[in-house]
Amino acid sequence: MKPFPALVRTGLRANFGLRAIAYRFFTEKKDRWLLPLFALAAVSLAPTLYAGIKLLAGLYGMLTPMNQQAALLTFALLTGQVLILLFGLYYVISAFYFSRDLEILIPLPLKPFQVMLSKFIVICVNEYVTVFLLVVPVLVTWGIKAGRGPDYWVAAVLVYLLLPVIPLAIVSLLVVALMRLVNVSRKKDALILIGSIILIAGSIALQSAVGRANAGGMSAQSAVAFFAAPDSILNRVGAFFPPSIWATKALAGGPGATGPAHLALFAGVSLALFLALIVLSEKLFYRGLVGIGETSARRRTLSSAEMSRRVSSGRRPFRALLAREWRIMNRTPIFLLNGVLVVVIIPVVMLLMVKTGGETEVFLVNFLSAANPAVVILGAAAFLTVSGSLNGTASSTFSREGGQFWMSKVIPVPPRDLVAAKLVHSYAISVLGVAVSTVALVAIFHLPAGQVAPAVGLALLAGMLLTIIGMLIDLARPLLDWTNPQKAIKQNLNVLFAMLAGIGFLIVTGWLAARLLKLGIGGPGVLLILAALLAVLSAAGAALLFRFARKRYAEIEV
Amino acid sequence: MIEFEGVSKSYNRGRIKAVDGLTLTIPPGEIFGFLGPNGAGKTTTIKLVVGLLRPDSGRILVEGIDVQKEPLRTKALTTYVPDTPAVYERLTGLEYLNFIGDVYGVPKADRLSRIERWLDIFELSSAVGSPIQSYSHGMKQKIVLTAALLPDPRVMVLDEPLVGLDPRSAHHLKELMRSHCDKGGTLFFSTHIMEVAEKLCDRIGIIDKGRLVACGTMDELKKLNAESSLEKIFLDLTDKS
Repeated sequence: MKPFPALVRTGLRANFGLRAIAYRFFTEKKDRWLLPLFALAAVSLAPTLYAGIKLLAGLYGMLTPMNQQAALLTFALLTGQVLILLFGLYYVISAFYFSRDLEILIPLPLKPFQVMLSKFIVICVNEYVTVFLLVVPVLVTWGIKAGRGPDYWVAAVLVYLLLPVIPLAIVSLLVVALMRLVNVSRKKDALILIGSIILIAGSIALQSAVGRANAGGMSAQSAVAFFAAPDSILNRVGAFFPPSIWATKALAGGPGATGPAHLALFAGVSLALFLALIVLSEKLFYRGLVGIGETSARRRTLSSAEMSRRVSSGRRPFRALLAREWRIMNRTPIFLLNGVLVVVIIPVVMLLMVKTGGETEVFLVNFLSAANPAVVILGAAAFLTVSGSLNGTASSTFSREGGQFWMSKVIPVPPRDLVAAKLVHSYAISVLGVAVSTVALVAIFHLPAGQVAPAVGLALLAGMLLTIIGMLIDLARPLLDWTNPQKAIKQNLNVLFAMLAGIGFLIVTGWLAARLLKLGIGGPGVLLILAALLAVLSAAGAALLFRFARKRYAEIEV
Repeated sequence: MIEFEGVSKSYNRGRIKAVDGLTLTIPPGEIFGFLGPNGAGKTTTIKLVVGLLRPDSGRILVEGIDVQKEPLRTKALTTYVPDTPAVYERLTGLEYLNFIGDVYGVPKADRLSRIERWLDIFELSSAVGSPIQSYSHGMKQKIVLTAALLPDPRVMVLDEPLVGLDPRSAHHLKELMRSHCDKGGTLFFSTHIMEVAEKLCDRIGIIDKGRLVACGTMDELKKLNAESSLEKIFLDLTDKS
């Protein structure tokens, strides 16, 4: 096989790990229990997909009389491309500059652009998978509803294949140029953090912009004029990112001149940016890589007094383990972002979404003042629980140790202490999330203390239970063989399972609360019953976790 | 002292036998060198001693205590250096040493004097305040060795400890291995370097395909193949099976 296809094939294999998964399932016969779970997830997704397609078909029917049906395509393509643009920044930085395989690839007889291009293709394939459910159902439903011929389907395939190219090429050009100019690769931790914060800030800015655009208000006359103009929605929505307008027109324009012309424009710009990237990467890619894999550090011999001060006088193992958890979490950007920062940022984003949502906020404020106080408390508790617990800290706590798990196995510390330190650490992050969300909730909705206090109490109890559930899931099947920390938390199925368990828990608790209220038990009674139930479940869960840890620490082989 | 009593370990549901009925005693005061080709079972044997793996059958005793039945007691007596220095790279060298001192319960006075001594010997004093991430491979190996020496263990288990060390550090390590055993400690280590095994070890074991194919002092091994070097003996034994 020629070098470049071989490089791409190896990159895809390493990224998706299909061979490794097949080996685990069929040779080692591990994780086979996941197969029925995946099948169940796929089956349970089918009704949602069906409902989504029905909704799309309905929307198509509503938009057609106004001649605005192409806006459906724009929405899907724009959302897909913006997602690719935002996440692409993160993927490109880590794949181009911080993946460990670069140390193997650079000495090989390959041109810089080939190495970079192979990574670009792997990210593209990743993006096809990421935006599949968002874009493909819309393309298919639209094509069927419009009764279009083969020209549409050919264009749809081409548009889908080209979809990630423009946003990813823009991001890649920026990153390659930035790395060359600033040569910040030695500060890679800072770069990942800054990149991620730009990603989040971008999401918030986009959300606010869309919110303002929707809530901008429109007189009746201008509204009529707006909707009367053909494709006005398409143009307004697509103005955020014009390639989505070209892609829409390539599909909706028909086989006449408009469709092929826009397809040519879309493909031409994609190709031009792609070629620009090849040229630039050939010149700049390796130059920005200088010093990769190395971390600079100032070396200074400590004086005897300093050494004496800094050598610990002996902490109890539990405290040493807790300090280890905090330090590793806070000093690994991916962990910090997905553990600590996410519980601070997400609540703020969620509330901003409500604030910029115009009608949603009015509805919520009206609801909060009129509703049964117990319902308000339960709603607030659910929000606080989501904010504090739906992060990957607890459900990746064992996985995050990765190749260093051997140390937890060989040190003379009982599993009880090892797990207690992890529980306290994970729960502290959950409590931080609850605290930040409480401040945001009170600041925006001015909830009285009489409602906030019980909501916080319930959320803290629920947070303990969800922390324990997350830890149990991760302890059952820790992912320890990662080489990139991103895999330990962002691509770890345990995090997904724990989130699903958390959502399931909220649904069941909500249903239970509704049943109890229907049975005529007063609000305070329902809250007390739920609090007692959560406390009992948390205590039982903790006992189970400690027992399970004793068994698993002996079983897990590294 | 380390005792193996009929220890076996296999992978892939018994299809690959990594260690096959190993019976061996390493008395206190002895440096025992473990030789074998790649994949012979050296690392598996070492991991069984320190509790990273569980034997399928047989038992292992450290200072007379069963590793499986009372793991905390045997862990408190043993330190381990893996073949690759995978340590907490986000901690500084000193934070890592403090962590090890805390979990092994090393008193401050002992901790300070030992840390200063080993850092000086391994020439790590100027790096100990920096994150381990910034260390070279050899420096990482040396910080792991320093951590393994910090609790002043009865038993040391080292997997390829000389790989990545510069000649001066390798020399110091060999000296401290000798002094550890002269004080009554036990040292069990694997190596591919025949000269080291020949000069340093009190006894040598050769493992191939999970079975101990030869074991004894250098003189005893030479009787198997007169006038041969350890390298020749090793090649003969591991080629035959």
